Amino acid sequence: MSLAVSQRISDRLVLSNGIVVLVTENPTADIIAARCFFAGGERVETPAKSGLTHLASSLLTRGTERYSSLEIAEQVESIGASLGTEASSDYFVLSLKTITSDFHDMLLLGSEILRSPSFPNSELDLERRLTIQSIRSQQERPFTIAYDRLQHLMYGDHPYGFSSLGTEASVRAITREDLVDFHRQHLRPDQMVVSIAGKISSAQAIALVEEAFGDWQSPQSVGFNTPEPNFQPLLVTHQQDTQQAIVMIGYPAPSVHSPDYAAIKIISTYLGNGLSSRLFVELREKRGLAYEVSAFYPTRLETSQFVAYMGTASQNTGTALAGLRHECERLANTPLTAEELSTCKSKLLGQYALGKQTNSQIAQVYGWYEVMGLGLEFDHKFVEAIEAVTEADVQNVAQKYFTTPAISVVGSSDALKLVHCHE
Amino acid sequence: MPITCDRIAAKVSPQATFLRLGNGATLVHQEMPASAVVSVDVWVKAGATSDPVSCLGMAHFLEHMIFKGTEAIAAGEFDLVIESEGGTSNAATSLDYAHYNFTVAASRFAIALPYLSQMLLEAKIDEQELEQERLVVLEELRQAMDDPDWIAYQHLMETAYGDHVYSRSVLGSEAVVSGITATQMREYHRANYRPENMTVAIAGAITREEAIKVVDAAFTRNTFSRNVPKNILSNVSPEALNTQALPTSTMRRDTISLPMLQHSRLNMAWMGASVANLEDAIQLELVTMILTEGRSARLVRELLEESNLVQDIAGSFALQQEAALFTISAYLDAENLEMVEHKIIQQVQDLQNYPIAEAELNKAKRSLCNQFIFALESPSQLANFLGYHSLLGCEELCTDWSNAYCEIIRKVQPSDLQNLVKKYLSLENYIVTCAVPT
Repeated sequence: MSLAVSQRISDRLVLSNGIVVLVTENPTADIIAARCFFAGGERVETPAKSGLTHLASSLLTRGTERYSSLEIAEQVESIGASLGTEASSDYFVLSLKTITSDFHDMLLLGSEILRSPSFPNSELDLERRLTIQSIRSQQERPFTIAYDRLQHLMYGDHPYGFSSLGTEASVRAITREDLVDFHRQHLRPDQMVVSIAGKISSAQAIALVEEAFGDWQSPQSVGFNTPEPNFQPLLVTHQQDTQQAIVMIGYPAPSVHSPDYAAIKIISTYLGNGLSSRLFVELREKRGLAYEVSAFYPTRLETSQFVAYMGTASQNTGTALAGLRHECERLANTPLTAEELSTCKSKLLGQYALGKQTNSQIAQVYGWYEVMGLGLEFDHKFVEAIEAVTEADVQNVAQKYFTTPAISVVGSSDALKLVHCHE
Repeated sequence: MPITCDRIAAKVSPQATFLRLGNGATLVHQEMPASAVVSVDVWVKAGATSDPVSCLGMAHFLEHMIFKGTEAIAAGEFDLVIESEGGTSNAATSLDYAHYNFTVAASRFAIALPYLSQMLLEAKIDEQELEQERLVVLEELRQAMDDPDWIAYQHLMETAYGDHVYSRSVLGSEAVVSGITATQMREYHRANYRPENMTVAIAGAITREEAIKVVDAAFTRNTFSRNVPKNILSNVSPEALNTQALPTSTMRRDTISLPMLQHSRLNMAWMGASVANLEDAIQLELVTMILTEGRSARLVRELLEESNLVQDIAGSFALQQEAALFTISAYLDAENLEMVEHKIIQQVQDLQNYPIAEAELNKAKRSLCNQFIFALESPSQLANFLGYHSLLGCEELCTDWSNAYCEIIRKVQPSDLQNLVKKYLSLENYIVTCAVPT
């Protein structure tokens, strides 16, 4: 194992207004990547205004007190930098990538965007239209339809249950005032983490962040509560005249703070990660049921999910569903062998080390730990937790979580008949 | 005005090594001492254009079968060797090539490479494994058929290239894929997967000497290369491939309707430059940048930002062995198809009629060069770039990658750009394909 990969030294400093600054000096290329994270994300949305974080993130780069949408685009594009914003389940992030000499200017522009967005109504109209068009475009993809329907069964009214884009109705309902409120409540220095990686010293980087964000003050905090997820272990189907049926199953799974987190990460690696994973080998390589078959377990602050899915020919829909369930649930009865467990750990930890190659990847990983409340030390705690997982742990969590899944199937009427027989 | 990539170039490590090894394979190597990994990308000159006429889809199907191992390597063994320590691997087939890549911790490179080389050179192509994998390939085809963008792209290629081999679908068809036999595939494999048809690109924490040593040893097993039956070679030899000339430039227009669509697609295309005209090809990327990259680009600004006539618009031009398509693609409502086509042509006409302002040209140059630098930050990105361009024979672009690309971009003057657009983007003769909801 190449431990050298994970031994980068990162500096951490907290500014007087609460901003956490992380700097990882990496002089190998003349590039600097920065990520400005804010805690919150889609988790703070209500069903009626679902899609608010996404819409706010699109609009931030479309006008500030000093610059119009086009002026912002010109500034970024004229120096060949990249600047983007993104809403995620548990955070909001502004990402920057520049060559070293342009970093100062781009960080100042990032500051203007984050601190003084103007949310112009004309731009809101444009983004709202584009968002609604994107929501419709998602209906072209059987995978997205299946996943959206599964999410509703997994979470009910909890914000994780809604598409990040929201619904046509919720996006229409969002007003400029909602965006202004969102910005005031959630984009604030005491919820902010700036993570920088690249050809820059720690002292330089901190001085630049201080210049750009040091005098930003937080308003009073407004708390928010998320509802309990309402998990419904049901079957939901959607008929479409497709060549393949998409079969997807979901089990509620622990949050990143749960003691069960590491064991489910192991299971996720074992079942769904890569060409040597169990689902791939059993269902694709040995049985030829699918081209794409996989599983994922997102790392989340609140109740997460374990999802396994595949695309298969209509006549195999029932077999595919039974196969996915069998592979997940057999772990409750059949423990992993010592060798399987050890291979899994080495795969997961090796991938983890290899996943920190570019400056963007480095800035992302460390900033994300911080904004999730895990801290930089999670970098080694994660490794220790994975190393400590035993065969019994794996079996115990499988028994605990892999009981009755929610199931979502999209396909032709012939395909759907086959899953209904299976009930 | 000096553009940014000069400064970067000066600081990047020295040039890459490009050499032909004794076993016939080409090696292109760039050491990246600060990295902890090694990435390998092996490019084989055997893509869909070398599919035998009766076996369309062969090159892609074979790409799947490579991973089924050899007499000595079991199916799936390579995947386990790569992934068990956290490495990743993948493969893809396109028109001119198939390629196979992996990234592993530097200490694993010398263990992993011989697995890949042996699979490539000595693939077993077992009959039972082939039957099993045929099901997977057919699922891949079905998945593509459920993807409206894949269908629209294939429709564009067929309309644009007509009888030329570039109109082929890499995936083949269900009927043909269902009939390919293990014997046919072995013959195809023996004829095409030879060291002299391969480029091995390596980037990462490995010295030149070590790379040469390992690759030289790994790619010398030529057990079959001396006894390929003549009739096989004559069926699939590279000379026989490109007999159909590229279509001449006439207006071609076609529309299909697809049931799943929520939005229409407009694809406009022109025959671009081939690798034989490298400078034109790279400079066509500048035109893409000016028209469609970023909110301040001409078409994005006019059609999306100011009038909302399209939901999205993008341009692309990618280097290929023979002329690739310069395309502009939009998502839009069907009633705007005609108007948008008209406005795109107007913008092309503007580029022909009026010299571009220095500032706008410099912006595009700088963006393209920085994008190039950003896109080659990791060893796997660099190995991919070096392997592909080496396969195409662009030796200088490989050995001097940190300068050569940006040099070609840098020297473009406003009048050159005007001439380039006049040369390639005709206002009368182009290809339009549309996909509209049923």
